[in-house]
Amino acid sequence: MSSSQKVVVTCRVNGEDHTVLADPRDTLLELLRDRLEMTGTKEGCGNGNCGSCTVLADGVAVCACLVLAGETDGLEITTVEGLTANGTRHPVQQALIEHGGTQCGFCTPGIIMSAVALLNEKSKPTDAEIRHAIAGNICRCTGYEKIVRAISSAAETSATARAEV
Amino acid sequence: MNPYNYQKAATLADAVAARGQPGTFLLAGGTDLIAQMKSGHRAPVNVVDVKSIPELASVQATGDGGLEIGAAVCASKLAQNDTIRQQHAGLHDSVQLIGSLQIQNRASIGGNVCNAAPSADAVPALIVDAAQARIAGPKGERTIALEDLFAGPGRTTLSEGELLVSIVLPKPDERSASAYLRFTPRREMDIAVVGAAARISVDGNNNITGARVSLASVAPTPIRAPAAEAALVGAPASGATFAAAAIAAQTDATPISDIRGSAEYRRELIAVLVRRALEQCAVRLNLEISQ
Amino acid sequence: MNDPGQIDWSQKNSVVGKPLPRVDAGERVEGTAKYPADMALPGMLHAKTLRSPHAHAKIKSIDTMKAAALAGVKAIVTSGDFHDVPVGATIPMGEAGYDMWMVSVINIARDKVFWVGQPVAVVAATDPHIAEAALALIDVEYEALPAVMSIDAAMAPGAPAIHKHVITTGLEPPAQVPSNVCSRSVIERGNADDAISSAAASAAIDTTIDTGHQGYIEPQAMLAQVDSNGFAMVWAATQGQHTTELMISRMLDRPQSRIKVVPVEIGGGFGGKISIHGEAACVLLSEMTGRPVKMVMSREEVFQGGSGPPAAARHRIEVAAEADGTLTAIKGLYRQDCGGLPGLPPSLMMQASAALYQAPNLHLEGYDVVTNKPRTEAYRGPGGIQAYFAMEQAMDSLCQKLDMDPVEFRKKNAAVTGSTMPIGTPFPSIGLTTILDAVSKHDCWTSPLGEGAFPRGRGFGLGYWRGTSMTSACHISISGDGRPMVTMGSADISGTRTTMAQVAAEQFELSIDDVLVTMGDTKSVGYSDGAAGSRLARTMAAAIVEASDKALAELRTRAGRLLQTEPQTLTYERGVFRAPGAAQGGASISLAEIMQATLTDGAILETGVSTKLPLGVEVAAHVADVEVDTDTGQVTVLRYTAFQDVGRALNPTAVEGQIEGSVVQGLGWALTESFDYGDDGRLRNASMLDFRMPTALDVPPVEAVIIETPVPDVPYGLRGVGEVPIVPVGGCVANAVARAIGARVPQMPMTPERVLKAVKGR
Repeated sequence: MSSSQKVVVTCRVNGEDHTVLADPRDTLLELLRDRLEMTGTKEGCGNGNCGSCTVLADGVAVCACLVLAGETDGLEITTVEGLTANGTRHPVQQALIEHGGTQCGFCTPGIIMSAVALLNEKSKPTDAEIRHAIAGNICRCTGYEKIVRAISSAAETSATARAEV
Repeated sequence: MNPYNYQKAATLADAVAARGQPGTFLLAGGTDLIAQMKSGHRAPVNVVDVKSIPELASVQATGDGGLEIGAAVCASKLAQNDTIRQQHAGLHDSVQLIGSLQIQNRASIGGNVCNAAPSADAVPALIVDAAQARIAGPKGERTIALEDLFAGPGRTTLSEGELLVSIVLPKPDERSASAYLRFTPRREMDIAVVGAAARISVDGNNNITGARVSLASVAPTPIRAPAAEAALVGAPASGATFAAAAIAAQTDATPISDIRGSAEYRRELIAVLVRRALEQCAVRLNLEISQ
Repeated sequence: MNDPGQIDWSQKNSVVGKPLPRVDAGERVEGTAKYPADMALPGMLHAKTLRSPHAHAKIKSIDTMKAAALAGVKAIVTSGDFHDVPVGATIPMGEAGYDMWMVSVINIARDKVFWVGQPVAVVAATDPHIAEAALALIDVEYEALPAVMSIDAAMAPGAPAIHKHVITTGLEPPAQVPSNVCSRSVIERGNADDAISSAAASAAIDTTIDTGHQGYIEPQAMLAQVDSNGFAMVWAATQGQHTTELMISRMLDRPQSRIKVVPVEIGGGFGGKISIHGEAACVLLSEMTGRPVKMVMSREEVFQGGSGPPAAARHRIEVAAEADGTLTAIKGLYRQDCGGLPGLPPSLMMQASAALYQAPNLHLEGYDVVTNKPRTEAYRGPGGIQAYFAMEQAMDSLCQKLDMDPVEFRKKNAAVTGSTMPIGTPFPSIGLTTILDAVSKHDCWTSPLGEGAFPRGRGFGLGYWRGTSMTSACHISISGDGRPMVTMGSADISGTRTTMAQVAAEQFELSIDDVLVTMGDTKSVGYSDGAAGSRLARTMAAAIVEASDKALAELRTRAGRLLQTEPQTLTYERGVFRAPGAAQGGASISLAEIMQATLTDGAILETGVSTKLPLGVEVAAHVADVEVDTDTGQVTVLRYTAFQDVGRALNPTAVEGQIEGSVVQGLGWALTESFDYGDDGRLRNASMLDFRMPTALDVPPVEAVIIETPVPDVPYGLRGVGEVPIVPVGGCVANAVARAIGARVPQMPMTPERVLKAVKGR
């Protein structure tokens, strides 16, 4: 078995540039978790079927388990760790706390990233749009309703914050 | 996963050259290939990333009013495309059904085609739009009807060293509409038990002047449904016509039983989905449909 | 300290009963909560498991030479490296103990494999890619044996007996030869057959329930490190740290004093993370290599035999009533598929299935059967949803024959406090009639169903789970600033740290922010059973009440000494002891002041141990509205309302979360989730694509209606919460579907194809 050539990858994660030497078999998920030690992004299935590894790549939600390390070269990645700025949580994070939208917490980072992608596109989503936006994220604890309520409330909070600026 | 090399191809020529090497797999969105590599279903020696090749990365109007879609363009880009939304509504339906939003943000149209799954959602929608496949290879370029690209489950008719560059859609007739529907137990995040696309064109008397019907998950490849099409062309756009076409479509298919549904169930669904796809076309044409 | 003055302490239960956010929610939303897969230690190796490709085979030989020679491979273990746990060995847990032989065999196959995916060898290597490559280099010679893949095949005359030591218990005369039927259980009262044949109306249903899965999103993961003295540290996502330690200890035949299990965050368990699934192997590998060893299962491993799914079943229920709706008989035949190793006898599940009805005649007969599928493990009210899928459909059919309202029918026949349970003893406190009254007045039951494009139906279903008590321990220490710190002996799988912080805050009349509740490791707190059986909040609350009372008594003694007052004359309120006349400016002292003055006299360290609490039985009643696409068979759940008596809701948000999540799990199994095993024993849909758990688009908002009928002699009157809300779901949805399409769907899940078949066959 011959070893494959390593790839050098430079990408921007949460506003910081990283250059790492990766095994071509590694995915973005392994790059984040194992090389950059950012373990907030979770692996639930490894095949894009659960959404636990959702991150933003150039602003859109993707499953980090289905992006090869080599493909990340030049990408701008945002993970759950990048949402809390100066100790202030993103409205989606805060709303999930307040509405009981996180239980075991394992799907939570992925749900948050899908919700952030939605709110970046639509400031006042309907419940149906929220459910569509998180349909790629399987949650087994909450039954989804408290998550939907939280995202809806976060949208209102964000809208209020924007109105005040 | 066996070790492999990863490289990016910058030009079509690079990609064609790389494609000629044994064990080379092309990667665009990667949502099928990476999953298949993880399961051991595909074991590449080289993975060549083609998504930044200009010809594969763009959607452009053609000289005669049609549309050329680069093979590496992702599903969500197509969902946002105005021409596709307005003129190729069936394709627009289908690209929003491929996996989750996360998947649609990566999965390419060319990947959906070349993965050659009988269940590929975009393929029936492309076939009813008379899509042509533009193929590049060591001997130059050729263009074929998209439905001729499929050889069997997971197999295409591409020769050694060939790759899909783009998909060309001719401009649809003036009074024409398409639709794609599929049936899945879950609302999203699922694989079509049966998928059905239809396009009909009508004249001033609402008689059907042209029709194409295509089905997914009912044969070793996505297929045209000639019996259904024959039942439509020349007939008035009516509930009775649609019902007849739906029944005819069952004879076009050779479904099998697998973990997602029995052959018998699939045959039932073909009639339901073809009828509903035709009804959706009628809605899009603002036709009043009598029974 | 935070000012507890913001809390109205004139109200008893001032913190308890409030919908407070989880104390650990911040780390979850910020991605800093650490699950075992997130942990790394210097020099850490990665373990991967070689699993059986056969459903049933003899292992003739295992050759690890080639794998061991691969660069980066550091150690390999096979069955010979583990202690040989004998058949019949148990560890203490609950009333019957926990089958330790089963635990050992699900962790490593011995001379035979009993299902596809059973572990055969475990490799530790410097890199997960290398560990995986090494698996392919291990040569295992198998002699394939005929596989038995269904209950019917296993029970058929002449079926190959999977286990030589399994001889059916409960038969008269006693069985003599090996069989795939582990036990026969019978519960008998009166004469059910006579009652059925002479009844004004009767109804029967013969159901088949496919294997499902708990579907936790976090695959099993663990990390072990053995130091040079042979002391093993294990970080585990487990429902019980102490039981995990006991299991590791027995599998490796080494003292518990050489093992410490640290519970870390767990990404869902639902019953499936009670047993260990690799921890013992990681300890061995770490010992052999002197390096930490981590194992993280893939999703495919979890589904393809690496974890225990809940049981498939075939249940036949027949019920009968007088013309006025008085129930006269329940007759049940229960067959439970426990997978590749013998399971628990089905009698608890059988009792539960009939518990909510007063029926003078009962004949319940149950069998648990071995097949060549993964050994089943618990899932929320084990066996309950399957049994109630049958029971509630039979009862609903009977209501249809009697032309009787399903809720009124239940009211007429409801079990009440003191009525006779199926086992013959009087029912402890049960609030079923209160629930039924609430349902019959609720909008979900009284409002019209509405018109849709397709037929609609409204279904009603009950569910019952007994719950358990077992034992819980905690200790409370009060340090220099007077704040109570609680260490629990159990793991937190459902928000227990939050609800227990509410209990501790209530006992001390402090703000929740002034108490700390943590999960203790096995060397920092005494034995507690796991978080399972709807027992933890009840029993841990009792332990905390006991330890708090003791700590407050010691604080009172110290306060009396410091204030030079008889301790019993002091009053205590909101963290302050006051001498008589304190309101007039007399002496008072806060907890912080007491500890500032007396810390050097010794910390305050008190324990609480609770065991054998009175039962807090769980009852739920569900109402579902569905619409059925009669062209495709697809069922859309339009509305779902779940009523549940929780005794008292420590935290309504947490209770709703348990109910809503549980209902959605139930909807998944009811409609789309099924493990599809091929004849070769291989699971054909071992992915989250084809094992179809509901997405947010597949389920309606679930409304939880909380009813509080407190249990006497239990702190706060608590009942169990987490198990019963899944129990009614299958039956409730089935009844809604039946009323929509006019036909019964006797299989679960009620997939579109099965529903369409029922539509066509009507």
